[in-house]
Amino acid sequence: MKKHIFLLIATLSGLVNSAVEIWAQDNQSQNQTLNIYCWTEYIPQSVIDAFTERTGIRVAVANYASNEEMLAKIGAGAGSYDLIQPSDYTLAMLKADGRVEKLDLSKIPNLANIAPEFRGLDFDPNNEYSVPWMAGLVGIVVNVKEVKRPVTGYTDLFKPDLKGRIICVDDPRELVTWALYTLGKDINDISPDALDAASGVLKTWMPLIRAFDSDSPKQAFLNGDVTAGVVWSGEAALLLREDPDTFKWILPSEGTHLFLDNLAIPKGAKNIEAAHRFMNFVLEPQVGKMISEEFPYTNPNLGARKLLDPADLANPASYPSAEEIKKLGMFKPIDGARAAAIDRLITDLRSR
Amino acid sequence: MSDTRRPRFDEGRALRSPGLRGWLLLSPLIVWLVLFVVFPTFLTVCASFFRTDAYNSLVFEFTLSNYTRILDPLYLGIIGRSLWLALLTATLCLLVGYPVAYFIGRVSGEWKNILLIAVMLPFWTSFLIRTYAWFQILATKGFLNAALLSLGWISEPLDLQYTSFSVVLGLVYNYLPFAILPIYGSVEKLESELVEAAYDLGADPRRAFTRVVLPLTAPGMVAGFLLVFVPALGMFAITTLMGGGKILMIGNVIQNQFLGMGRNMAFGSALGTMLLAIFLVSMWLIALVRREER
Repeated sequence: MKKHIFLLIATLSGLVNSAVEIWAQDNQSQNQTLNIYCWTEYIPQSVIDAFTERTGIRVAVANYASNEEMLAKIGAGAGSYDLIQPSDYTLAMLKADGRVEKLDLSKIPNLANIAPEFRGLDFDPNNEYSVPWMAGLVGIVVNVKEVKRPVTGYTDLFKPDLKGRIICVDDPRELVTWALYTLGKDINDISPDALDAASGVLKTWMPLIRAFDSDSPKQAFLNGDVTAGVVWSGEAALLLREDPDTFKWILPSEGTHLFLDNLAIPKGAKNIEAAHRFMNFVLEPQVGKMISEEFPYTNPNLGARKLLDPADLANPASYPSAEEIKKLGMFKPIDGARAAAIDRLITDLRSR
Repeated sequence: MSDTRRPRFDEGRALRSPGLRGWLLLSPLIVWLVLFVVFPTFLTVCASFFRTDAYNSLVFEFTLSNYTRILDPLYLGIIGRSLWLALLTATLCLLVGYPVAYFIGRVSGEWKNILLIAVMLPFWTSFLIRTYAWFQILATKGFLNAALLSLGWISEPLDLQYTSFSVVLGLVYNYLPFAILPIYGSVEKLESELVEAAYDLGADPRRAFTRVVLPLTAPGMVAGFLLVFVPALGMFAITTLMGGGKILMIGNVIQNQFLGMGRNMAFGSALGTMLLAIFLVSMWLIALVRREER
């Protein structure tokens, strides 16, 4: 009996020992590992592999599916990430709270490749805290073989003849934004009155919607489940690439908003040097081309655009005209109470 | 009634003190339970009494507001619907699973193993892949509609995906093995002599089933029911995927509070704590009923 216990203790302490060793090794090699916390399906594996091959720096990737999810984790101080990928208004929040590091722009000369209209936007006027990743917008896709009548905006998309044939991205703030646009209101005014007005519009829309899907709304189009919808421009671009005769992209006449996703370094990052190198690397034209080929959002990198297939450049979902871009709004940060009010409204509308 | 039983319990070997070796053998399980069940549950209960800031981080100020917020008819309605969907799922799993489990339990050796493996086979692929496979079957241009159209049974494709039908189907499909396995366990222990004795004493097949087989397999049915009901109540992925996010369950609301626009993990924790309370109360009720039955 005693012998057995001794054996057990010996084995256990051996296990603990090796665990400690592994942990210590991990801590050591952390210096050569870049920890990226980014959106799912947004940084191609080929880009990460190319970075490791070039620099010898290993990359570890963790994913999130919404800005809120990332904010919760960064806000709780969890995880030691070196790079995050916040959207415009989220970066504004992080910046205001001093949760992102100031960049050393001398280490990111490739920032010059970014088109002027995507540099120095309101949320980061001098690009002191972020470099652009990809831009995109939200718009309407219609299967013109099934829907014979014209569709120009949200109001004539959400009509009873398309009941059960419409898909929308699964994002409460987006829904409210489209309703505010049709009312001709400011999309960043999330006051109780504005939400009340939006609620009236959304009540008539909700019964017409077949499904909400932010991950891959294009699948429902290809499966024949829906014939129209409001989706991310990158998803729309993939549909148009697949079958340009069937799918048509429409920029809603009432208005829509532009989003710009960025790379930034969270406060407390251990590997600031490697993070800068990654930022500069992805802003190279050749790397920008790799990103565009896999995720055809609006590439803000002019050097990369020069290398793209002309057919992709002509894709109206990926590259709206300069005139169209001028009309687009952008999200501003909203506080917890307003976010919660939106969440409650949409939860309510969905559970009717 | 229970008094007459208790002495027998004391005589058994079960109550022998486990001793040092017993505790050592148990220790991995205890460490696991404490680390991954007791501790997280404790954190959830604690979090439900605080507030959150704009980042959804906890602010350590005691409040009961998260619990009063549950009383909002909106959330009560969603809780009610979740209970109904979970009950429906568990009942359907029992109805479908019982004959299957009974058959497997009664079939001879080699077939038994093959059938048991067949029940567990779906777990060899990921949950997401299994669920996405249903998209290909239920879609407007999917296999099922194509088959029905070519048979001439329907003239227009049916809307199957993103409906209450697809949600319930997804739930039953995913949880069916959890109902089959415990019932199988009970059926296998059922001695056929007892059924024969019922026949000898003049029972017809129906009476033999309701008076002998059913009561003896009841523990497996209760276990199977709970194993389906409990996880189904908190499910959110199937409603999001198969229901197109249109049919909200309480799991979806909780997920939104932690990772979505709700930005209120304290409220999410309160909802989670309430679910835990529902489970504990229903387990306790079941235990009570079963003690009465003895």
